[in-house]
Amino acid sequence: MLKEFKLPELGENIESADVTNVLVKVGDTIELDQPVVEIETDKASVEVPSEVAGTVKEVKVKEGENVAVGSVLITVESEGSSAPAKEEKKEKSKPAAKTEDKKVEAEPVKTEAKPQPKSSGLVEFRLPELGENIESADITRILVSVGDEIKLDQGVVEIETDKASVEVPSEVEGTVKEVKVKEGESAKVGDVLIVVDGSGSAPAPKTEEEKPAPAKEEAPKKPETPKTSPSPRSENQRAGEPPVDPARPNIPHRSDMPKKIAPAAPSVRRFAREIGIDINEVSGSGPGGRININDVKRYAKNLNESIRKGGVSAGTPIGIKKEQLPDFTKWGDIDVQPMSNVRKKTAEHLSYAWATIPHVTQFDKADITELEKMRKAFGKKAEAAGGKLTVTAILLKVIAGALKKFPQFNSSIDMDKKEVIYKKYINIGLAVDTDRGLLVPVIKEVDKKNIIELAVELSEISAKARDKKLTIDDMQGGNFSISNLGGIGGTSFTPIVNAPEVAILGVSRGGFEPVWIDGEFQPRLMLPLSLSYDHRIIDGADAARFIRWVSEALENPFILSLEG
Amino acid sequence: MSNTTELLVIGGGPGGYAAAFFAADKGMQVTLVNKEENPGGVCLYRGCIPSKALLHIAKLLREAEEATKWGVTFCKPEIDLDKLREFKDNVVKKQVGGLGQLSKQRKINYIQGTATFVNSNTVYVDKADGTKDEIKFKHAILATGSVPATIPGLNINSDRLMDSTGALELPDIPEKMLVVGGGYIGLELGSVYAAIGSKVTVVEMMDGLLPGADRDMVRVLERSIKEKMENVYLNTKVVSMEDKRDHIQVTFEGDKVKEKVQKFDRVLVSIGRKPVTKGLGLENTKVGVTDRGFVEVNEKLQTADPNIYAIGDIVGNPMLAHKASAEGKVAVEAILGHKVAFEPAAIPAVVFTDPELAWAGLTETEAKDRGISVEIAKFPWGASGRATTLDRNDGLTKLIIDPETDRVLGMGMVGVGAGDMIAEGALAVEMAALARDVALTIHPHPTLSETVMEAAETYFGESVHIYRPKRK
Repeated sequence: MLKEFKLPELGENIESADVTNVLVKVGDTIELDQPVVEIETDKASVEVPSEVAGTVKEVKVKEGENVAVGSVLITVESEGSSAPAKEEKKEKSKPAAKTEDKKVEAEPVKTEAKPQPKSSGLVEFRLPELGENIESADITRILVSVGDEIKLDQGVVEIETDKASVEVPSEVEGTVKEVKVKEGESAKVGDVLIVVDGSGSAPAPKTEEEKPAPAKEEAPKKPETPKTSPSPRSENQRAGEPPVDPARPNIPHRSDMPKKIAPAAPSVRRFAREIGIDINEVSGSGPGGRININDVKRYAKNLNESIRKGGVSAGTPIGIKKEQLPDFTKWGDIDVQPMSNVRKKTAEHLSYAWATIPHVTQFDKADITELEKMRKAFGKKAEAAGGKLTVTAILLKVIAGALKKFPQFNSSIDMDKKEVIYKKYINIGLAVDTDRGLLVPVIKEVDKKNIIELAVELSEISAKARDKKLTIDDMQGGNFSISNLGGIGGTSFTPIVNAPEVAILGVSRGGFEPVWIDGEFQPRLMLPLSLSYDHRIIDGADAARFIRWVSEALENPFILSLEG
Repeated sequence: MSNTTELLVIGGGPGGYAAAFFAADKGMQVTLVNKEENPGGVCLYRGCIPSKALLHIAKLLREAEEATKWGVTFCKPEIDLDKLREFKDNVVKKQVGGLGQLSKQRKINYIQGTATFVNSNTVYVDKADGTKDEIKFKHAILATGSVPATIPGLNINSDRLMDSTGALELPDIPEKMLVVGGGYIGLELGSVYAAIGSKVTVVEMMDGLLPGADRDMVRVLERSIKEKMENVYLNTKVVSMEDKRDHIQVTFEGDKVKEKVQKFDRVLVSIGRKPVTKGLGLENTKVGVTDRGFVEVNEKLQTADPNIYAIGDIVGNPMLAHKASAEGKVAVEAILGHKVAFEPAAIPAVVFTDPELAWAGLTETEAKDRGISVEIAKFPWGASGRATTLDRNDGLTKLIIDPETDRVLGMGMVGVGAGDMIAEGALAVEMAALARDVALTIHPHPTLSETVMEAAETYFGESVHIYRPKRK
């Protein structure tokens, strides 16, 4: 039974519409609500869904034609001659409801040689009939690439005819083996678009450089613009004047163009350039990663800070160009070892301290002849307590007294805030030589402990350091450090202040020296001391007073009780 | 006589005069050497400005003819070519005269003449008044521009053979005219001649008009071009031309042409432009020139000779006035010691045909060539109410969008007024606007500019006037 489907009412005062796309052709089987034509009125571009179902017998309109409301669009032979196609819509259930939406743009017409959806082996998918009088179309975009898994109704190519741009949905399923058309080409109806391997749904063997097929269909259905995108010619020229300069050579500012220009306004890009920041390195905080001026400032600030902290390149202080290492193998065999963590930390920390603290080292010698006698006399007591009465243990007590007397040696400075932080507690670090390198455990509240207690703690903590049992806590919180190299030898050295502390006392090996006392040279046991200090907070005279006080306290420990 | 200048600008086109004016505004002492009596260059004397004056008339003629459809019929237009030429010449005169005034007001030492480099800080100037001069400069900006390219082997000596300069002089209204080259110059000037009554044939070597522009946009334009032109031959070459005194005989090669030998009253060759870098004495400096004749510059527009900068057509494509002006400012700032670079995200390009075709930022074609993954959002003007009121639904607005961030990377537009509206695209690209930003910016109704907003909306599948659900 033949039914006519007419252009329905489109809205008030709309009497006609331009047909921009005919979506069915003679021989098609159409369903209720399946789009028949795409039309354009003054105000809108819409698809007209069918109100009849059956086989299309005749298409009465052409693309580009202006059609009045009420004109016949198509005639349809309704399914089963006996079953009258009721015009009451929605009465039938729509079997293909789920794919309906996808078909909206262009219902591909099942071609005669309709390939089986889930066949095995290679299947060619050809450009289907597109509508009356349309024999060919321009391929504007290829939506699949070799290796992609494609599904029924997934867009294969985007084509453009005179009037419309539509996606051609696949009628086959499987792995794309070959793409036979190129973007920009014109394809005739019936031309092979792609070749698909439909054997099973098992993932096809991966071809080189393929991307995994968008199996989950999370991402836009189009699997990224295919790589096979040789547009007819590569055009560098915007103005479209081919002969002069198809590929602009050697002009740096265009050819070096990054793939994507940083998402920042021109004023922001300029600001970054002015302060020497590469805008491409800055991450934006705005929507879509847009970079605002504060992002650039923040980046610059962080960069400065990390440079200040030596984080950018350990050991290369600000303003100093890093030098490349020579190839040492030129001069002989070498063995390259990775730095241990302790070594890395030490290197970074001491570079920072050395580069940021203006160091001065004050030398002195303490006469410990009498102290040495006492040390021997009381050594047993300390041993009984489980410690060893060493010069270092005594020095701890002496330094604690000195720090009380000279509080600027027990401080830290904050250059950002221009403040000096005086500490009310006295914690002293001790440089310990271990297998793993230099460690500086800290003895806390030295001023509240007597020398024997300190001797015991010193023994314990040194053992812990050598046995790798020091905790982070054991190594934090020092106000001043002592580095005693006397056990090894040497006459003096210039220790580096252990920032953020402001001073360090180096101790070298004591020895007997002739000292002019009471009109004659007398052999005295002299201990060489080296006090390095941060000249930003400590003046030379203070340092001399400090080291003198320490020396005198060692010479006459009574001073400790008197002043310390 | 020898004198010195802080900044010497050679060439007074939109690059050179913009640089000179800007430098003077910044307090520099500037000398501008230019061939013409006034600044302006090709753009004002023989390019953008006169062609637009004529295209305005062409559009008027078309509309007058079309008005019949809308119930208004005018008499058949009579073209007074002398008067038309005068109008065009007056437009040019007015513009360049204004520039001359602006130059004087800025106390720029304007010299009509040509300059040749003697060394890295001296030029020899041949003045138009016949005198000669030597100028020592601290810095120089080269802005000598470009001239029409010619087809090697097809240079017949005939005044019927024209380049864009000759065509703009409007010698007559040829009955049959051939335009060699389907780029913007050929299409613009071809349109002018077609409008004033010539039967124009366009021949293009490549497989499409406006090579480089996105095909979907070109197709819209192509329809109107094909209507106006007698013939459009693509994939076709001109293999020979012969001066037959009362016409030029042209032989074509290509499948699309049935008659391989045809007669034309005039032939316009518009196959592109080539930079002017010869005869400037650049060999006496350290300035580097590529084998294609472009001056090599870094991102500051500085040549290999640190005193000498170069801008505009001579440093490469796109050969556009506004690019040259922008480069001129960068060069001046660089000379002033500012840390600057020529690094635009978008250089808009406009083809002033009817409809106009324009783009800014990344094109779809370029994205493909460079392997950049993009999403395209299109809004056909068939769905624009304003376009319908103008009876000009032949248009398309598209946005090229980064699918990861939704950032607008480029915009393309074909349709009436596209050249003016593309500026919004340029701003969007420069400001790194997101598609959402464009969609949320209220555009005035009813205007063609709404198509930009609606194109952004189609990206989200929510354009009001188009039903195109977002693909899942």
